[in-house]
Amino acid sequence: MFETFNFRIILEYMPLYGQCFLATLWLSGLSLFGAIVVGIISCAMRLSHSRILRSIAGVYIESIRSTPLLAQLYFLYFGLPTIGIMLPEWVTGVIALILNSGAYYAEIIRAGIQAIHFGQIEAGIASGLSYFQRMRYIILPQALGNTIRPMLGQAIILVKDSSLLSLISIMELTRAGQLLTSERFMPTEGFLTTAAFYLIIYYMLKAFSGWAEKRLIFQEEH
Amino acid sequence: MISFKNVNKWYGDLHVLNKIDLEVAQGEVVVVCGPSGSGKSTLIRCINRLEAIQKGDLVVDDMNVHDKKTNMTKIRAEIGFIFQSFNLYPHMTALGNVTIAPIRVRKIPKEEAEKLGRETLTRVGLGDRVDNYPAQLSGGQQQRVAIARGLCMRPKIMLFDEPTSALDPEMINEVLDVMRDLAKGGMTMMVVTHEMGFAREVANRVVFMDEGQIIEVAPPNDFFTNPQTDRGKYFLSSILTH
Amino acid sequence: MWSFYFNELMRSLPFFLKGLWMTVAVAGLSLIFGTIIGFFGGIMRAGRNKPARIIVGAWVDLIRGTPFLVQIFIIFFILPGIGIELEAFPAAVVALTNLTASFICEIVASGILAVPKGQREAATASGLSYYEQLRFIVLPQAMRSILPPLVGQYVLLVKDSSIVSAIGVVDITRVGWLTVQRIPEGLMVFGLVGLLYFAVCYPLINLSGYLERRMTVVSTKL
Repeated sequence: MFETFNFRIILEYMPLYGQCFLATLWLSGLSLFGAIVVGIISCAMRLSHSRILRSIAGVYIESIRSTPLLAQLYFLYFGLPTIGIMLPEWVTGVIALILNSGAYYAEIIRAGIQAIHFGQIEAGIASGLSYFQRMRYIILPQALGNTIRPMLGQAIILVKDSSLLSLISIMELTRAGQLLTSERFMPTEGFLTTAAFYLIIYYMLKAFSGWAEKRLIFQEEH
Repeated sequence: MISFKNVNKWYGDLHVLNKIDLEVAQGEVVVVCGPSGSGKSTLIRCINRLEAIQKGDLVVDDMNVHDKKTNMTKIRAEIGFIFQSFNLYPHMTALGNVTIAPIRVRKIPKEEAEKLGRETLTRVGLGDRVDNYPAQLSGGQQQRVAIARGLCMRPKIMLFDEPTSALDPEMINEVLDVMRDLAKGGMTMMVVTHEMGFAREVANRVVFMDEGQIIEVAPPNDFFTNPQTDRGKYFLSSILTH
Repeated sequence: MWSFYFNELMRSLPFFLKGLWMTVAVAGLSLIFGTIIGFFGGIMRAGRNKPARIIVGAWVDLIRGTPFLVQIFIIFFILPGIGIELEAFPAAVVALTNLTASFICEIVASGILAVPKGQREAATASGLSYYEQLRFIVLPQAMRSILPPLVGQYVLLVKDSSIVSAIGVVDITRVGWLTVQRIPEGLMVFGLVGLLYFAVCYPLINLSGYLERRMTVVSTKL
């Protein structure tokens, strides 16, 4: 198999891979942004004083965490049309990714906030800071330090999750591999090239994570 | 019994043990003292190769400790080591802690080891605590279990790395009492400690170290009442004023 | 119309239960093999042998850096090229075992490295060999920090198992996919799919949380 590894074919398909690589980045990036927004909102709901808001957020988060992303994706893909919502595939895919990662971000942020020692908040109260001031100067900066690593971890997961969009015919990296398999019967070249591109994204994100942590090192707990 | 000949150790550029020459005879009790960073802990940790040396010879009981071909299990079986932070195994009872090494290393059958374990624990005053877990024992009790753990191997040498430094003051004596008994019984001991009272009572010699070197070696009374070096004088004055 | 489809769905229940059984089978086998391999890998990863640590580390990185969907395509489509013909079910178990083992490897390695250095020093000082130390002193204590994330990994395992539907294994997700072709009520069909996964995952998630709380209580007593 390896003796006949066909580099020519990969070169021929490289424009396609290039497009699909960008598609993966675009889909993941957009979903990441949406997921963080959804995560912050759900987390706020989860920690709020209102029982209704807490329950809604709770149900949302627990449902997402206890079911696979693929099932959620199919749920939206097959289910939305039946209630009259017709969307392009990629929009459905992005929504599924946003809702899925959003729940995990909500939990990450919650854990980051709850990891802050209560004594710090007490010190803030004692020196007369208001709720918003405490949030701004004490809680959120530390929460950022606590969560940067798990948040980047979830981002890596999100990029890998985007591969599932290939199963609803969206043109991204994994689909490129599927095409090389179905059009040219070359799954080896197809999927190994796909894997290589994903590894590039993975190592870039890991490097970023390392750099970001170094800059926030003063936030580290001893 | 223990022989240091031109022993040198570096951590990167830091010369932590500098041309150490020292002989400890069988049955001797040697106290090692000195300011922080003087290398005294490193010194005794080299004896059972918890730390490596780069130059020189360290011979224990006629075996070269830092030779690659030496059977470390044999040497370590003859040396009991007591840590400042006790390092008891939290998931085993006191009896479990003291018997694991005799069973696995000396290959003593379990029943015999347990009998020995109970006797040794009684000897250190914890006969009624054999089935307790470390979390259920006070610091002083834990350190005594640690000493029993060392003794159960019937070692020729016992090494103590600041055994009472992590203890609350009221518990220091119970541990020192056990150590005094050991010394009186003829055990070869090297003790890194700040407890000068203990040193005066039981030590044959005091080794004073500073910055990786041995500065003075003298019998305790001589060292404490009449230190010969300036650094020795300075150290004693800073210790005794609090 | 809706009630017609609902009845049709209820009549398909046996099919769904067969899918549930398949999910449990694939996940269960991968759980067992993955845990065994993962433990060995973790011990090597935390061990003294540097080449072993690097090789295992590289393997883990490859698996974490690529989507599981791509991995399973590689195993299913590419292995026949080097003479290993696999049917869908075995390929699925191999891929899932591989995935699980790599994550468990990291969990076990972290757990081992979290045991305080003093414990190993005390064991070394009393003459215990490397393997005796691992067996009697280090691993028992490491289990405390390994157990909660281990169970968490099992939850991920069940969810990731949904991806094997992409190579035709008839698990819960595939049953849903096949059913929705006949019964075009995406919400209902995949609602049921979700419910079945929920039934398996939710208890496991709670078990993991419970273990985490219990383990923390025990360590603070020390």
